[in-house]
Amino acid sequence: MPVTFTFGEMLSARSVIGTTLAELGETHDNLWVLTPDIGATLVEFRDKYPDRFLDVGLAEQVCVGIAAGLAYDGNIPVVSGMLPFLSMRALEQVRTDVCYPNLPVKIIGTHGGLVGNGGSTHYAVEDLALMCALTNMTVTSIGDPLMVGEVLRQSMSMEGPIYIRLAVGKKDMVLYGEGEHDIRIGKGITARQGTDATIFTHGTVVSQALQAADELAKDGRSVRVVDMFTLKPIDADLIAQCAEETGGRFVVVEDHLAYGGLASRIADVVADRGIRLTAFRRLGIPQVYAGFGEDEQLRDKFGYGLAATIAATREVIAAKA
Amino acid sequence: MEQNALPAQDERPTVAELEDRAFELRTKLLQLCGTYEGAVHIGGDLSAADIFTALFHYGLHVDPTDIRNPERDRFLLSKGHAAVCMYIAMAMRGFFSYEGIVETYGQLDSAYGMHPCKVQLPGVEASTGSLGHGLPIAVGMALSARHRGETHRVVCLLGDGETGEGSVWEAAMAANSNRLGNLVAFIDRNRQLMTSFAEERISFEPYPDKWRAFGWNVVEINGHDMGELVGAIDALPGADSDKPTVVICETVKGKGVDFMEHNLAWHAGSLSPKDLERALASLEANREKEMA
Repeated sequence: MPVTFTFGEMLSARSVIGTTLAELGETHDNLWVLTPDIGATLVEFRDKYPDRFLDVGLAEQVCVGIAAGLAYDGNIPVVSGMLPFLSMRALEQVRTDVCYPNLPVKIIGTHGGLVGNGGSTHYAVEDLALMCALTNMTVTSIGDPLMVGEVLRQSMSMEGPIYIRLAVGKKDMVLYGEGEHDIRIGKGITARQGTDATIFTHGTVVSQALQAADELAKDGRSVRVVDMFTLKPIDADLIAQCAEETGGRFVVVEDHLAYGGLASRIADVVADRGIRLTAFRRLGIPQVYAGFGEDEQLRDKFGYGLAATIAATREVIAAKA
Repeated sequence: MEQNALPAQDERPTVAELEDRAFELRTKLLQLCGTYEGAVHIGGDLSAADIFTALFHYGLHVDPTDIRNPERDRFLLSKGHAAVCMYIAMAMRGFFSYEGIVETYGQLDSAYGMHPCKVQLPGVEASTGSLGHGLPIAVGMALSARHRGETHRVVCLLGDGETGEGSVWEAAMAANSNRLGNLVAFIDRNRQLMTSFAEERISFEPYPDKWRAFGWNVVEINGHDMGELVGAIDALPGADSDKPTVVICETVKGKGVDFMEHNLAWHAGSLSPKDLERALASLEANREKEMA
C-alpha cells in the first residue's frame, strides 16, 4: 500500500479488493477473477487481465462450477459477488464442486450481515454457519479494509478453499495500523487488551466492540476485544487464554445468526476443552426476516448494537464467580 | 489445429470391434450387478454403454498410463450415477483392472462407488453425481485450455433428464458466450427420469432446438449405432472452432436387455442369480439378432 492509513479513517474494502487482485494478477499468472455481475470494483483486474476475467452474468451456480473447473486445471480462481447468493444459491456447487475436492477457490463477497438496507433477500445472515459446516473450507469475516488485502495475499498459497466475508465494503473503518498486528489466517487478533471480560467479534462489529470497550473504560472496566476474523479453523488456544486472563467472562457479538456463527464456534471449544466460564452472553440476529432499516437501527432492533453490547458486558463482569 | 501429442491408440478399433467391446462392457456391467447386492443404476448405464465405448475406446485422447498428462482430453461424467459403466469402460481401456472394481465396488474405502470421486479415484477428472454440475466444471476446464492455448477437448456426458437442472443451461450460455468450440457435450437421451418418462414431467421438446437456440452446434444420432457414434466423433469441429457442440444421442434406458428396456423398474437395482442369467441371455439374443 502506498498510503498509510490510521485508525478511524474510512476506506472502501472493495477498492482494496480491486487493487489487491490487480497486484496479485501480476505475480500469479494463473489467477482468475470471476463474478456473477458484481464486477464494478474489479475493473482494474478486468482491464489488466481481460482474458483471466469472467463475468458470467446472473448465474451464481455456473460461476462457482466454472471456478472449480479452472481450479482442477491448476488455476487460482477468485469468485467475487454478493454473499447471500454465493453462499446459498450456489451452496451445493461450493460444497460439492469446490470443498469436497479441496480446490483453491476463493469466495469473496459483500453483504454479510444486516447491512445495505436491501431487505431480507439481500442479507447473508446464515452464511457463516453454512460455510463452517463445509469440509475443507476456511471461513473468514473481515472488518478492517486493509486486512482484506492481507488475507487475499495470504490465501494465494492455500491449498484449499476460503470464504471471505465483508459487509457492504463501501466505507469501512480502518481498525489497525500497518504492522500493528501479526495478521495470520487461523489466528485471532487481540484488538484491545483487557482483564475484566472478553468481547469476541468479527467483521464490521469489531469497531462497535472497540467503542463499547472505550465506554466501559470510562467506568474503570478493562475489556478485551478479540477480532476472531477466522471462524474456521478457530483459534482455540486464544479462547482458552482469554478465559484464563479475563475471569471466564465472555461476550460474543456478531452480525450473523446468534446461533450457528462465532458464538457457536466458541461454545464448541469451551465444551470440548472443558473450559470453565463464569458468564457467557451471545448477541446476534434472531431467526426472523429482518426487514428494512439502516445497519445500526437493525443492530439495535435485534439487540446486538452498541448499547446492548455495553449492557451485556456489564452483566458478565457483574456475574458471580 | 494439430491434435495433441498424446500417443494415439496404435490402431483405433473398427466399428465392429467397438461393437464387440460394447457387448463386453454390458456383459461385465451385468455381472457386477449380479455380485453386488446394493443398487446399481443399470438402466442409465445400459443406455450410455455405447457412448462410453465410443468415447473411451475411440474418441478421447487419453493415456491410461499417464493420467495427469496436461494434453489429455478431459472427460466429465455429469450423469454421475452411470459411474460403474464408466469405470468398466475405463478398465477395458487400461485405466484400472475390472477385477479390482468387482472385488471392491461399494465397499468401505473402495475407490469405486455409486458416483465418481476424484479424491478416491484420481483417474476420473472430477467428483460428480449431483446432477447439473458436470457441464459448468467442463466450461471452466475448456476456458482454462483456451487461455493456455492448449488443444485438447473437454467432453461432458449428460443425461437428458439431468438437463432439467437450471445450471446446465447457465453453463450452455456461458459456453456459447465464451465461444468454447473445444467443449463437446454428449447427451444420453434415454427419455426416462427415475420415476417417470421424461416428457410426462418436463416439456423438453423441441429438445435439439433448445440447444440450437443456446448457440450450440447440434448433432443428432442414434446413440446405439456405433457407426453413427464414430461418425459424429470424426466429424467434430476442431478444438479451435468457436461453437460448442452437443451430440444428442437417442438411446433406450436398459438397452440390450429386453425386460429392462423402457422399464421404469430398472432405473437402479441389483440382479439375483436368476435375473442375471435372464439378463445375459437377453443380451446375447439381442446381439445375435443384430449380427444376423
